[in-house]
Amino acid sequence: MIEKLTPSRVIFNIINYSFMIILCIVCIAPVWHILMASFSDPRTMMATPGLFSWIVGKPTTEGYRIVLSNPSILTGYRNTIIYVTLATLLGIVLITMAGFALSRDTKLKKPLTLMLVFTMMFSGGLIPSYIVNMNLGLLGNPLALIIPGSINAFYIIIMKNSFDQISPSFEESAKLDGAGPLMILVKILMPLVKSTVAVIVMFLVVQHWNSWFPASIYLTRRRDLWPLQMFMREILVQNDTKMISAAEAAKASSLVNNLVKHCVTVVGTLPILCVYPFAQKYFVKGIVMGGVKG
Amino acid sequence: MKKALTQTAPKKKIRSGRSWKNDIRMNWRIYLIYLPIFVYLIIFNYLPMFGIVMAFQDFKPARGFLGSKWVGFANFIEFFTKSDFTLILRNTLVISLLGLSVGMVSAILFTLLINEIKFTWFKKPVQTISYMPHFISAVVIAGMIIDFTSSNGIVTNFLVNVIGIERENLLTNPSYFWWINLFSGLWQGLGYSSIIYISALGNVSQELNEAAAIDGANRLKRTWHITLPALRPTIVTMLILSIGQLLNVGSDKILLIYNPTIYSTADVISTHVVRMGLERMQYGYSAAVGLFNSVVGTILLLGSNYISRKLADTSIF
Repeated sequence: MIEKLTPSRVIFNIINYSFMIILCIVCIAPVWHILMASFSDPRTMMATPGLFSWIVGKPTTEGYRIVLSNPSILTGYRNTIIYVTLATLLGIVLITMAGFALSRDTKLKKPLTLMLVFTMMFSGGLIPSYIVNMNLGLLGNPLALIIPGSINAFYIIIMKNSFDQISPSFEESAKLDGAGPLMILVKILMPLVKSTVAVIVMFLVVQHWNSWFPASIYLTRRRDLWPLQMFMREILVQNDTKMISAAEAAKASSLVNNLVKHCVTVVGTLPILCVYPFAQKYFVKGIVMGGVKG
Repeated sequence: MKKALTQTAPKKKIRSGRSWKNDIRMNWRIYLIYLPIFVYLIIFNYLPMFGIVMAFQDFKPARGFLGSKWVGFANFIEFFTKSDFTLILRNTLVISLLGLSVGMVSAILFTLLINEIKFTWFKKPVQTISYMPHFISAVVIAGMIIDFTSSNGIVTNFLVNVIGIERENLLTNPSYFWWINLFSGLWQGLGYSSIIYISALGNVSQELNEAAAIDGANRLKRTWHITLPALRPTIVTMLILSIGQLLNVGSDKILLIYNPTIYSTADVISTHVVRMGLERMQYGYSAAVGLFNSVVGTILLLGSNYISRKLADTSIF
């Protein structure tokens, strides 16, 4: 539709476009500030107020050298990668199997779906879950970060809907050849739902990468098993840089600690921020699928 | 919503009257595929639901669910008569109602404004950038909040210079907490929560829009009478879902940024549960608080769903 450009329309457009630009600046500025600060000279940084638009003082990569050679950070990084990989793999396998089984025409389809949906509406709560997990021996056990949070009823429903959309004719010939359900799932249906799989994998990766709470309650004292977010919490939130100072006894000072904070933030956040623009179409799709189902 | 679903889902042959024996013989492999999930749900979702009995016990982990002493409603009475009960409930409701109303209104406004932008090369990057804060972890967000609101932080400096507040660590003054929490949530969620509305813009009828334009309806009128009604089912759905979550104020961020000096405005039900249950090990009491939370949440969800089905003819189940 071609629109006449009336004066009021022009004014509206100017305001609207400016607003969008300001919004983008507001979104980016704090993150940009941290990125710039992580390369800045810590002494000059302390004396410079406001958000940084560029590196202040003499550019340095000292902070990154300290962070990336710190044994705790490296342990955290390794643990996070292990947790994210295993929890996502386990999650997507279980979710796909569940979605597939619930999309089949079986006599128990209704009650099983109901049993699943009920978990979305009512839960035992944090404390009973904690006690159950404790009795399962998950306290101080890395499986606590992999198994309990791996599946999500909501994703299973999305998966089930995705299987429901596939016309039965696709599997008919395979059925005639005597293929079992698992064979049909892997060979015929999986390629047809792979975009839904991608959506859910993406949600799971982000969720597990950013998660810190389960680690804080199940792995409280097992520093060797902590994910990166837990070390980041110690540095950024509890303002405790002992682990950095212990390793860097000679240079540790509040100045260096300040630099290290920014570097840790970048190191822990950058991977996700670099990936999400490319996965954008998947999470948009996922949200739409979720919204349609409610 | 429900109608749309049943229309799109292809009809499957329903073999009515199939006997259990036949069903098992034909579908045992499908049941086998579902078995791990069934076991998972029983262990991680249903066992904790039965674990709720501990809300009525003076629960001791060593004695278990069966051996702990039963105390009836003592845990609930303790919570309801606690001096900070009203405070916690107020904080929970204020924080979530603020977040819900401001969050939704801004997301819808953002959607309407971005809908007016015709250049895709401008629109797409704006959207992508607006989603970014959502992907930053709660720990980093908390770190940023703590840093920016410290006594010489960026936000503090700004407020001191512009509004003239007293210089202090903003996270130690109870009167600022709601706003810090609201604006950090808005920063993080605005773009991402608009995705669902932006996608619903596809439901706006172009013909209707053009016809209205020819009839002389201006943009504001068309937005009000055509665009917004097209978004209504989505808005109602999101509203029902959020109302069901009203008491579940995310403890993630608050747990990271609050401290004893601001408990009077920052302590909410979920943080209270974590503190009492996991730090002070008052398991029975915290389970009771959690149960109160779950039950009210479920009632709110079903209630708002019912009301919207009656009034707006839109419901999620």
